[in-house]
Amino acid sequence: MLSVKAFSLSTSDKVLIKELSFDIENGQVLSIMGPSGVGKSSLLHFLSGTLSSTLTATGDFFLNNESFHNKPIANRKVGLLQQMPLLFPHMSIIENLLFAIPPDVKKQERQALAQQALEKLEMRDKANSLPNELSGGQQARVALLRTLLAKPDFLLLDEPFSKLDPALRREVRSFVLEEIRKANIPALLVTHDAEDAKAMEGPCKNIKKAV
Amino acid sequence: MPLKHTKWITVLIAAIMTLPIFIGLIGTLLPAFQYFPPIGEYHFSTQPWQNMFAESEFYSSLKLTLITGVGAPLLALWLAFSLLAWGYQRPFFRKIETLLSPILAVPHAAIAIGLLFLLSPSGWLVRIFSPWLSGFVRPPNWITVQDPYGLSLIFALVVKEMPYLLFVMLAAMKSLQARETIHACQALGYGRFALWRKVLIPQLYPIIRLPIFIVVAFSLTVVDLALVIGPNTPSTLAVTLYRWFNNPDLAMRLMGSAGAVFLMITIILVLGGWEFCHRCLSKLTRYERSNGRRCGATDNLLGSGVILGLITLVSAFIALMLLPVWSLAKRWRFPDALPSKWTWDNIERATPLLIELTSNTLSIALIATIMACAASLLMLETKRKSMEESNKPTEQHAFDWLIYVPILLPQIGFLFGLHVLLIYLDLNGSFCAIIALHLMYVLPYVYLTLKGPYLAYNENYLLQANRLRYRPWHHYVSVKLAMLKPSLFTAFAMGFSVSIAQYLPTLIAGEGRHSTLTTEAVARAASGDRKQVGSMALLQAFFPVIVFWLAQIIPARWTKWRLAMKTLFKKGSPC
Repeated sequence: MLSVKAFSLSTSDKVLIKELSFDIENGQVLSIMGPSGVGKSSLLHFLSGTLSSTLTATGDFFLNNESFHNKPIANRKVGLLQQMPLLFPHMSIIENLLFAIPPDVKKQERQALAQQALEKLEMRDKANSLPNELSGGQQARVALLRTLLAKPDFLLLDEPFSKLDPALRREVRSFVLEEIRKANIPALLVTHDAEDAKAMEGPCKNIKKAV
Repeated sequence: MPLKHTKWITVLIAAIMTLPIFIGLIGTLLPAFQYFPPIGEYHFSTQPWQNMFAESEFYSSLKLTLITGVGAPLLALWLAFSLLAWGYQRPFFRKIETLLSPILAVPHAAIAIGLLFLLSPSGWLVRIFSPWLSGFVRPPNWITVQDPYGLSLIFALVVKEMPYLLFVMLAAMKSLQARETIHACQALGYGRFALWRKVLIPQLYPIIRLPIFIVVAFSLTVVDLALVIGPNTPSTLAVTLYRWFNNPDLAMRLMGSAGAVFLMITIILVLGGWEFCHRCLSKLTRYERSNGRRCGATDNLLGSGVILGLITLVSAFIALMLLPVWSLAKRWRFPDALPSKWTWDNIERATPLLIELTSNTLSIALIATIMACAASLLMLETKRKSMEESNKPTEQHAFDWLIYVPILLPQIGFLFGLHVLLIYLDLNGSFCAIIALHLMYVLPYVYLTLKGPYLAYNENYLLQANRLRYRPWHHYVSVKLAMLKPSLFTAFAMGFSVSIAQYLPTLIAGEGRHSTLTTEAVARAASGDRKQVGSMALLQAFFPVIVFWLAQIIPARWTKWRLAMKTLFKKGSPC
């Protein structure tokens, strides 16, 4: 379970988020909605340890009741999925998947895991293709599986569906939810779109602009 | 790059960049005022200046410098604007664009030697019209190169500078909404040249002001090109100063230093005058721009510039083509357009020397360019980090203006001063000193080529890689640098060609003990042995062109080749 306690975010001259707290169960997706510039994405960066130095954040967060706040980035096993799939363009699809698998996994098992992921994606024939040879939907799915192959303790979703067309969006949303449930990890989605939040079948929180 | 202490790194790099220039300037400034301990001069006086002003050669050299140094950039700018206005976004112009890279890559001296082969009285231009049109069975008694008016030098400078300006303009066009502007103006009934003259050129000029200043400063101070194709009695001021500095009588260095300081002041005044003229012209033409006339008499200026621009480009190519022809010629009597007998003997005869020169040239260029690439990456990462920390994407960094100092300052103005420091450090004549001086000139070009793509890189890729597996240094290389391969290769090719072209830094730091293809080609250009000079200039042109070509070919195919190899051997690491 991922718990965030009394999270506050501010710039040098204004408070963006004040005292935000929530819990997310394993296999559950909590959706956070709010207008642009309210600090939704910064919350994700705070959790992943890459918050911009121009912002100040306070609060704590726990994973299975263990404090995560002071853990160095290297030890936070966090998966982040963004608007752009961020597949490395100079690596083939299978290389992108292999890249994510932890180094302690043995070579044969690594190959098997990557192949399984490709099968799940129904893209066995695309193993040696480059990311730019895939469609937007295929790229989004590869990006999700790559993130999950790294065996993250929790998943952060930063408007990952916003660049997809409506039909593809529905398809990718259900794929993401299914995979999160299979992985049985907590996930946090930030979005503008109420449809995205609804499709995740989990609780939803609205953040308003702090006055 | 997981960098720490970015502020200290900034200070350190800025000091490393500034210190040699500062010391070089001091080393020139003090002798200019008679203070020169090596010859027992410990008192300040204006005697070197008085001596310099008393030299009649000084005035004629200055006149020539001003004519060639201002005339060539003006012509180059006119021709580049004309070609751009004529061909921009036309399919065949793309072919011309691809031809620019080889001309840009080829060192000045090689182009100058090629032009010498083309334009001299016994050159190819006279040969193709002889004897059937000209009636010449012997080379005419004309002065077509090294002419006293500096016309051949102006032409050589235009041949080299016009493609550079065109290249810069094409890059700058990306920041203008050129396509839309052209369509909007054409819809209003404006002719192609009129719309460029009235709308696009006034927008483009401020963006390319700095490259134009670099071209002006270069034209006023160039030495190698002027030695090969420029006038010699009198020569341009930079060449005259170079001779004074190299005079066995060390007292001449005092006058040379005064001249170097004077040349720097001249550059500042010329650049100031250039900017003043531009502002006046801009004010004078303001009304004309909005008078509603859809075409004007000055459009013809751009029209005629197109023809001259194309002639210039063709001349550059013929000049380059003549290098291999001369190096393979056995018998080539006047007025034959091509050699009657061909041979490899010229190259074979020169092989031992060519091997030595090539190995010196390539080792210096490789080491200096690799060092420049590493330093540029460090500087850019420092800049990126400080931009990220301050959250100001347009923040100017110390490097942004320091980097231009070596390019804008005349080499003759501070390299001889720097030579004094090398003597104090007992590094004169060493290979390290040559590399260090090359690095000073290679670094700005590598940095400026890398700057745009490096700062535009989407850091999210690197962050994502580190989220998947935290290995910052490894991912910096295997993800970020791997994705920046095309820009890195181009920057490398740029630095490599700049290093190969260096003449004065090699000569001053190496004291003639380490020759390169450039120093030897320039030294032998006047020897009359066209076959040997042709071989040297050919090699001098060959390496930069090949490296530029590889820089375009390799990054585009790297991943495909790597994956193909991997499939072939069924093994390999993912990154």
